[in-house]
Amino acid sequence: MSCPPKKIKLEQNTDNQFYPVLSEEFTEPTPMIDVYIDTVTDPRNISKVVVELNTVLPLPELTHLKRIKGKDVLLFPCNKDTAPDMVCEILKKNNFDISYLKNNVRTMSVAEIAPKTRKQYEVVHKLWPCNFHSNKYVEKLCTNTLFSASEIESHVNYMQVAIDIARFSKDPLSIAGVVVVDPKINSIVAVGFDKRIDNPCQHAVMVAIDNVALTQNGGAWQQVNARLDNQASLDLRGIPDDILDVLKKKYRNLRFGATKFKGKCEIETPSDGPYLCTGYYVYVTREPCVMCAMGLIHSRAKRVFYGTKSENGALGSLCKIHTVKDLNHHYEVFAGLLEDGCKKLKQK
Amino acid sequence: MLQSATETVNEDKQNPTSVNDNLTELQQKFMETAFNFAYNALAVQEVPVGCIFVYNNEILASGRNTVNETHNATRHAEINCIDEVNNFCRSKNLDVKKIFSEIDVYVTVEPCIMCAAALYDLHVRSIIFGCKNDRFGGQTVFNVASVLNPVTEVKNGYRAEEAMNLLKEFYKGTNPSAPLDKVKV
Ligand SMILES: [Zn+2]
Ligand SMILES: [Zn+2]
Repeated sequence: MSCPPKKIKLEQNTDNQFYPVLSEEFTEPTPMIDVYIDTVTDPRNISKVVVELNTVLPLPELTHLKRIKGKDVLLFPCNKDTAPDMVCEILKKNNFDISYLKNNVRTMSVAEIAPKTRKQYEVVHKLWPCNFHSNKYVEKLCTNTLFSASEIESHVNYMQVAIDIARFSKDPLSIAGVVVVDPKINSIVAVGFDKRIDNPCQHAVMVAIDNVALTQNGGAWQQVNARLDNQASLDLRGIPDDILDVLKKKYRNLRFGATKFKGKCEIETPSDGPYLCTGYYVYVTREPCVMCAMGLIHSRAKRVFYGTKSENGALGSLCKIHTVKDLNHHYEVFAGLLEDGCKKLKQK
Repeated sequence: MLQSATETVNEDKQNPTSVNDNLTELQQKFMETAFNFAYNALAVQEVPVGCIFVYNNEILASGRNTVNETHNATRHAEINCIDEVNNFCRSKNLDVKKIFSEIDVYVTVEPCIMCAAALYDLHVRSIIFGCKNDRFGGQTVFNVASVLNPVTEVKNGYRAEEAMNLLKEFYKGTNPSAPLDKVKV
């Protein structure tokens, strides 16, 4: 028969196989709805029937669906009050000339909403023709083909740094490391490691968020260290001195520091200047908990990458905080980055 | 927001577990203190949420939002209070876990998803809040209890309209530290 598929994937570095954690609207099958259909007696009348039906029985909630499939025509959605034998009556009541139809009413399952991905489209389109507006970005996310090889390498490097940071964690039972990166200047803005043994809220992510605040003349947990060098082009206050020394030695090609904070009066355009974690990427060795995940929403992070799943994780395991519709900000989440290295941290 | 404020009030009137009528005098006094912090927050252009942590009928911590002051969007009133209790316990060499498990939280607005998770994880005994939080609420926007199965008892509704009016007052003005396009409308 056909050749077995080539096992290309096995030859790739599995560490690079991180994947987007998407909202269910992209990963789950399209929700379906039952509708009544009938067959047109004379195919020459099809366009007349469609025009008539769209006039007397328009379906504003189902505009993504074509009204016709071959000789079959979509009448209206089924509901509790309309048994199949009442369909004719309803059509008549709406002044539709039922002599166009074979009076062969059947129910049919069709897409309740427009499909969001090509994969969903291909499934529902077979059942009943429907419109689909492909979104290139969404397709890249869904097929996990968003990043170029050099971008992947960059994500891997930053997660490697997060793994190194995690080793500074104070409690051997809760080890986690965070690196916050400004992708605009490709620089490490701040880091964080777990300190919950000192303070129950000082999870690595919350510590990193506060360290970002240090670079913006804020912060609540740390004394602002005096290292602000007015000559330096970047603000290094988000990285503790001892860690910065270690990282600079190990990673000679990486950049460190945040774009200098501008006070409100210095900001000329709204998108100018750092504001919280706006535009920043956050690399976390393990999936953030609900508190941390929401802290990153409040902070307006742009993307969150994590290594290994957590039992109490809020970005895929327990829930997906980043996909909650009613929130005013959403970030993208990618999981499984350097998963093995991050897992080993946990077991230590 | 206007619409949901009315909803909240109506719901609370029908809700038999609403604490509107059955808060003790002492509890009402604690809420009053929390409200003072919310008014104080509004005066300094922080999101007007006030909070106190009560242990053995004594106020162990009190606070308001300090997000603009700290340039840290996680510095909500509840997180500030957690820090305060934590520092207190450590200075007195008390069992942090045990103290938190006997704490009652009084807060003018429903804790957000982040704070609800923090409080549930600490096993605080109870949370009494004023109005719902329809932007970030840990019940209203996403029900944190459905994933964390907390031991914490939660009540709400006391002086809800007043708490909501404080928020409306704040959002009528602009967030002073946010760049123009980031200002919440
Ligand atoms: Zn956490
Ligand atoms: Zn909060």
